[in-house]
Amino acid sequence: MNALFTSAVAGLTAAGAYALLGVCAVFTYRLVAVVNFTGAAIGTAGTFSMIGFIALGLPLWPAVAAGVAVGTLAGAAIGFVMTRWFSEASATTKAAVTAALLVGIVAMGLRFTGGQHPQEFPTLFPGSAFRLAGVEVTIASVLTIVLAVAFTMLADLFLNRTNIGLHLRALSARPMAAELLGVRVALLSQLVWAVTGAFTTFALMIIAPQRSPDFMSLSLLVVPALAAALVGAFRSFRLALAGGLMIGLIEGLTSAFGSLSQYRSIVPFLVVLAVLLWSQRGARWDEAR
Amino acid sequence: MSLFAIKGLSIRRGRLPIVNEASLAVDRGQISVLLGANGAGKTTFLEGLSGIIPVAEGNIEIGGKAIQAARPGARSRAGLAHVEQGRTVFRDLTTEENLRVGLRDAATLSEAYALFPELLPRRAVRAGLLSGGEQQMLVIARALLTRPKVLMIDEMSAGLAPVVVSRLMQTIRRLADEGLAIVLVEQFAALALAVGNRAYVMRRGRIVYDGDCTTLRQSPEKLHAFYLGGAEG
Repeated sequence: MNALFTSAVAGLTAAGAYALLGVCAVFTYRLVAVVNFTGAAIGTAGTFSMIGFIALGLPLWPAVAAGVAVGTLAGAAIGFVMTRWFSEASATTKAAVTAALLVGIVAMGLRFTGGQHPQEFPTLFPGSAFRLAGVEVTIASVLTIVLAVAFTMLADLFLNRTNIGLHLRALSARPMAAELLGVRVALLSQLVWAVTGAFTTFALMIIAPQRSPDFMSLSLLVVPALAAALVGAFRSFRLALAGGLMIGLIEGLTSAFGSLSQYRSIVPFLVVLAVLLWSQRGARWDEAR
Repeated sequence: MSLFAIKGLSIRRGRLPIVNEASLAVDRGQISVLLGANGAGKTTFLEGLSGIIPVAEGNIEIGGKAIQAARPGARSRAGLAHVEQGRTVFRDLTTEENLRVGLRDAATLSEAYALFPELLPRRAVRAGLLSGGEQQMLVIARALLTRPKVLMIDEMSAGLAPVVVSRLMQTIRRLADEGLAIVLVEQFAALALAVGNRAYVMRRGRIVYDGDCTTLRQSPEKLHAFYLGGAEG
């Protein structure tokens, strides 16, 4: 039992990151109607930039700030492409464009970071936050979860209590109707992309030391992120948060079962499958009747 | 010079011409009615004016300022409001939130409720749950809160009860009398001609009649011929 608990706690860092990436995916989908495959790749670009800045002699925290700035700009750049040329495209086309951009970013990233050669990432928040039933819970684990919860709550408050949030909700429902009312659609869309770029980058910087430290592996964290977003049906921030935490914890639990732990990366796919089957039950019922 | 002047506007979809060298004008306090059969190009014409679709040729001026190169948002901020056909409410937002999206400058929500008191008790209701008439009132009120100089309304009466259409037409006339310039695209010619000042008839993308509403109203056979393709203005 204790082994199971220890394994679950080990999955907490990933859980927080998945949750934050999932909530960011919902944020992007709800506000600019794009299933964004580039989310984690944007964050990865910012994270690798941080290493580059450190190699150039910048101290850790200025390098972190510069890396987050790169992630923010990368997010804004992708947002520019999507807003400028694909704002009126269908959801399928937009998703296909971000999938293509993911391939491009990964190819460029592998070229500039030495292929799949592992990199050494600094631990931003070393040490243990507290002990839970004899298990060390790291500061990084706590921080990613706090960041995910904070982003979820802030996103809800921002969208429901501010004027810009109201404009973003209008923009997500009917972009052209919002623009015809003078809402600055392009600017707000860019803002959404930039904000998600910044949060994603910071989350990946925190968890990078615990993951396979290469550009491809970090970019593919988009899979558990989209699985988490799917749990929230790309609508609910809170369910996406719960979905991300659940996927991380299940992944952690698998490490308690020896040979099963080799297949832990399958967990997001199983979650996607389960959610899709669950969401189809109504249709099957209607068909049967 | 008219407050809102369109000269020689052409719109193409690919190589297919949809609107051909169409010109139209409307002044403060006036309603210009644009009539035509289904598929004549009226909605495309309005979409070109508000910037939803690009125009191939021609000038669009509002208060003497050319806006044909501007994005839809900039055209709105220049004083052009477009109420699209199909009652484009933000369905998941409440009535009041819909109005707040349009709110600009010193405009207040009470102006919208004064114009359409029916919306006040429905202010906390999601717009998707309003009746068709209420939704039409909402989109018109929302557009007015942007403080436009020119209001373009596309197929306002579609799918609404006659009593609601009559009420909306009276409101449109009142808004014009208060100084707004209005372009009204309407399938129900008799209703529109009754409130309008100047009439235009569009056929296959061309303006084939440009004259006053009274003349056209008094010659229903002429209007009929325009729709069926047997007359030229």
